[in-house]
Amino acid sequence: MNIKLFFGVAATLLSLHSQAQWFDYPTPGIPRDADGSPDMDAPAPRTETGRPDLSGIWVAADRLEDQCDPGEECIMQMELPADQRDIARSLPDGLPLTPWGEAVRSERASRQSMDDPHARCLPPNFPRAYYFPQYFKIVQTPELMVILHEFNASYRQIFMDGRPLPEEPFPYWSGYSIGHWEGDTLVVESLGYRDDLWLDMQGTPITESARVTERITRDTFGDLSVELTIDDPKAYTRPWTVTLASEAVVDTELIEEICLENEQDVQLFEEL
Amino acid sequence: MTKRLLLLALSITFTIGEMPAMAHHSAAAFDPNDKVDVTGTVAELAWTSPHARLYIDVVTEDGSVEQWNFELPSPVGLMRKGWRRKDLAVGDTVTARGIRAKNGSTTAVAKAVLNSEGNPLFAGK
Repeated sequence: MNIKLFFGVAATLLSLHSQAQWFDYPTPGIPRDADGSPDMDAPAPRTETGRPDLSGIWVAADRLEDQCDPGEECIMQMELPADQRDIARSLPDGLPLTPWGEAVRSERASRQSMDDPHARCLPPNFPRAYYFPQYFKIVQTPELMVILHEFNASYRQIFMDGRPLPEEPFPYWSGYSIGHWEGDTLVVESLGYRDDLWLDMQGTPITESARVTERITRDTFGDLSVELTIDDPKAYTRPWTVTLASEAVVDTELIEEICLENEQDVQLFEEL
Repeated sequence: MTKRLLLLALSITFTIGEMPAMAHHSAAAFDPNDKVDVTGTVAELAWTSPHARLYIDVVTEDGSVEQWNFELPSPVGLMRKGWRRKDLAVGDTVTARGIRAKNGSTTAVAKAVLNSEGNPLFAGK
């Protein structure tokens, strides 16, 4: 091949590639309609072993709308997932808090959530991490599921290799997780949480005594559902269950958000 | 008169709303009743986490220059709404409205940013 022609073609292809913006890059291999738009109602993809493949980028589905009236000049707001404002919103009788749990939650709320670890750039702890405004990416392999979370470039691992949960765990922000399939449902069990974690902006607690169960299904290509049960005798008089809905995000990518690179509000909290 | 009505409308919108929509930060350090409205030139647009920050040089009545630090949303949110750091350049004239930090410094959370033509920047849908 003529060497100049080769380099000319290569240079053209490279420049076309760089013109495709990083954050608009089309996701390969997803179901699409005839017009090229993603088909969110398509069946969930499956792995080679026939299990649902939960891989992909996800975001909490039920979000509060930007509070700006038409015609007003407002700064945009990231849409806040409704669960982040109040994880217990679907519980008809509210949270079954112990006296200790009630006291902790009230104290956190009374200080306008200034002590929220999230406001201090601390990690997005699962299960709370499912319903921040930021995206998370699931990478599923046969014996390990990894979840990458945009906020502070965080990760979570769910081990599916048959290992047991640890007996005396060193407390973690997202606990320790193992999972197994029951049909098309991934059942994840976790323990080993820190004692001072929040489950929402109200300060709903989760403690060292918690055992968390997630029953995860991907009902269609576009829908991820997590049935979350919190069994935490220190904070709650009985287990309670809520369902978290996430929707698939395609044709884009995670954005790096390193919270401490220019954090200035904590100093203002300290001065109050 | 129009400006005061607009600020009043903004304050009503903000106080009727429940907790602020920005999951990261608590509004506790800013006073919703201490509203500011400045016009000046862009000293810097810091496109950083957890908040982008717009630094504006404002000439005061006595001719001195004071620098305001307006807190904007996270670049993650801004970029997903189509905003980019090149939407403002150093030296551009800009107007920013917001609520001031309780410590009285020239720091505020921005509620609106307008370019030199009066068009809103970093706005929602």
